[in-house]
Amino acid sequence: MKWLSGLAVLGLMALLALGVSGIFPRLELPDPEPIALSWGARNAVAAIVLGVRLWDTLFEILIYAMTIAGVKLGLRFLRWEREVPPLAETPLLRRSADLLLGPVFVFALYVAVSGHLGPGGGFPAGALLGTGLLILAMAKGVERLSAEIHEPSLEWVEYGAIAVILGLASGLLLLGQRGASYFVAANLLIMVEVAIGAWVVLHRFASSRGEV
Amino acid sequence: MDGLAALALSIALVGVGFWALIVRRNLIWKLLGLNVAAGGSILFLVALAYRPGARPAIVGLGPGPAADPLPQALVLTAIVIDFATLALALVYVIFLTEHRHTQDVHRLEREEEWPQP
Amino acid sequence: MAAALSGVLAYVGCGLLGFIGAPRLFSWLALLAGSAAFLLWAPGFPEALVGGLPWGIAVAGDMWALGLWALGIVLHAAVLLHARGRAGAFHPLTTVLIGACLAAGLSRDLFNLYVLMDLTSLLALVLIAFERRPRAVWAGLQYLVLTEVGLILYLFGLGLVYGKLGTLSVSSLAFRGVDLRDPALAVGAGLLLAGTAVKTGVFLLGLWLPQAHGQAPTEVSVLLSGIVVKVGVVALARLAEAFPVGNLLVALGIITGFGGLAYAFWERDLKVFLGFHTMSQLGYMIIAVGLGAGMGALLYVVAHGLFKGLLFLAAGEAVEGTGRREIAALAGQLSVPVALSLAVGTWAIVGLPPLAGFAAKGVLAQAAPAWTKTVLFALGVGTAASFAKLLPLFRPVGKGRVGGLGVLTGAVVGFGLAGILAFPELTSWRAWGEAFLAVAMGYALYLGLRAVAPPLARFTFDRMLVSILLGTVGIAALVALGWLS
Repeated sequence: MKWLSGLAVLGLMALLALGVSGIFPRLELPDPEPIALSWGARNAVAAIVLGVRLWDTLFEILIYAMTIAGVKLGLRFLRWEREVPPLAETPLLRRSADLLLGPVFVFALYVAVSGHLGPGGGFPAGALLGTGLLILAMAKGVERLSAEIHEPSLEWVEYGAIAVILGLASGLLLLGQRGASYFVAANLLIMVEVAIGAWVVLHRFASSRGEV
Repeated sequence: MDGLAALALSIALVGVGFWALIVRRNLIWKLLGLNVAAGGSILFLVALAYRPGARPAIVGLGPGPAADPLPQALVLTAIVIDFATLALALVYVIFLTEHRHTQDVHRLEREEEWPQP
Repeated sequence: MAAALSGVLAYVGCGLLGFIGAPRLFSWLALLAGSAAFLLWAPGFPEALVGGLPWGIAVAGDMWALGLWALGIVLHAAVLLHARGRAGAFHPLTTVLIGACLAAGLSRDLFNLYVLMDLTSLLALVLIAFERRPRAVWAGLQYLVLTEVGLILYLFGLGLVYGKLGTLSVSSLAFRGVDLRDPALAVGAGLLLAGTAVKTGVFLLGLWLPQAHGQAPTEVSVLLSGIVVKVGVVALARLAEAFPVGNLLVALGIITGFGGLAYAFWERDLKVFLGFHTMSQLGYMIIAVGLGAGMGALLYVVAHGLFKGLLFLAAGEAVEGTGRREIAALAGQLSVPVALSLAVGTWAIVGLPPLAGFAAKGVLAQAAPAWTKTVLFALGVGTAASFAKLLPLFRPVGKGRVGGLGVLTGAVVGFGLAGILAFPELTSWRAWGEAFLAVAMGYALYLGLRAVAPPLARFTFDRMLVSILLGTVGIAALVALGWLS
């Protein structure tokens, strides 16, 4: 069986190599700058993600939201028999995590807001914020932080952000509005959504800490 | 790293990922292999965006050819999909571990060890 | 176009709001909004680019979109009527799933199809594992991993085609005429086909299908066999438009049809049996797509969604009501609506007039060349033979709830009658005679073969993975070598 698997994998790699050999010489591209400028952004990738291929991005956000719903459903009824001890860290780490959260938040905001002018955007900003919160949680004890963050209202904010994104996007698609303010608003909403989603998923996993 | 090396690396990643996915018996190893293979496909798309001597596709960074922005946009979605798959798969691996107390695929598939429907 | 897109957005939006509160209300609201939007754009709309040139997403309201929307709305109505007492997140999840399938019907862009195929797979996994039965969770997990492997291959194919031609739109690929002698395009087309085939559930590449559909909760099986696999069929239809791979699809369809039948004939678990039959019926649809018989394929897609949905709904009720899953154990235990629905569904799937299966098979057979007609007839005989073992189940005992069974039974009967009225050549003695002959031969085959017990290979996880990879290499090699194209 193993040699058959090896044969299959090698066959696939050979096939891919054959395919790749066919795409040289590379195709000439249309210039992306006019497209970016016509949408009111300077970053062509942002113009594509939030403008030209917005219909795809909406479903991608939906995939993200459904993952969160699925994770919440799936990890809901695990029975944790023992009291799980908090992961307390040294005072140095706790203070550093506290101090770092501020700059991380500001940097995430900056990345989100400047997404249409340079590399960045809502998605990396949300990942920054979400994992920043997780680092804070690991340093200070996951349960303490989750007690401080009220999760049901987080859910409201999450689904609210998605609903606003959908509304904004439908408005954009149907009315044909463009401009930098749209990009900033969309990126901020996406940052909120991705950050809350990342926090919920990572928090659920961290709380169980693999104790089954 | 220029275009051809990145493409070759992506094919190698897919090979390694799929090999781990098939050969390893532990479910977590299989999921890691799947993640590596997905990373390979993502790298493939990004590598396609490269043109020799290109600059990023941002207005105002000077003359010359720009890299292709479309595969970069597609990759954002592909990364989210990869994350989503991994998260949900791990959730259900945790569930199966709790019920069957094993992550070994061969043990999971033995008929007699399933609880009654 | 705006109406169609708004319909999808309304569906998805109501589904999301259902997560916060009032799930059933929002699902009904979504159904109403979707139906209203459907009526608005129903005559169809020509292809439009959402987002403008040059990288916009092509959507079109062609006949595949019409068929898929109609199917989705009917199935959603049946599921909503049937499911009582399902926990909070069930209805919003199904609503978003149907919204995604509706969007897939509209889409004519390769990457958009990728995103939607993935969304439907993830939602299907969460729904399959909804009741937290360990077997279902295992089946769902295999489903997710295998579909993800298929989508990774799809992404490679997409990259190759885009890298060579610079476009993702099906229409522009069809317009240009893709030359499959180019290695990048041949391998790319092969990988795209293989990835879609994994998601669709063809025999060698989609072996996850029987267990995933069989172990899922009742309404989820209805939706999975009814519309989620059709997303794959629609994607295959778009790929067949973009690349000249018709003969390869016919070959794939034949393998799928007979492979599914071979396993279904000896399968004892009722729902897994129906799952194998979904795989076999997909063979019909893929053959139709490969032959270019768009109308026949579409009719079969809708008809199959309706009668397979009915069969799964009835089977699910039977299994949940009695707590037994084997066919032999269920005999004489079913209530009247369930037994009647199973009988109607069986009548439809073996292709007897005047129900839905007869009309669909008839239109399909008309568009086929002679040797394909024989193959389709043989598939019909096999289906009848395999379903013959359900005969002991049709003895009802006692009363039961009708729920969504009524909607689907009505739809099956209505579709069948409408089909016969719309295609007058189906009312000939010859067509009716052939249908009855197929069933009679099938029953004889069943009587002859039922004592035989051949050693069929079991599907383990690793074997399924290896078969996906080998199948992919095979398909891409066939496309690249120029055979069957």
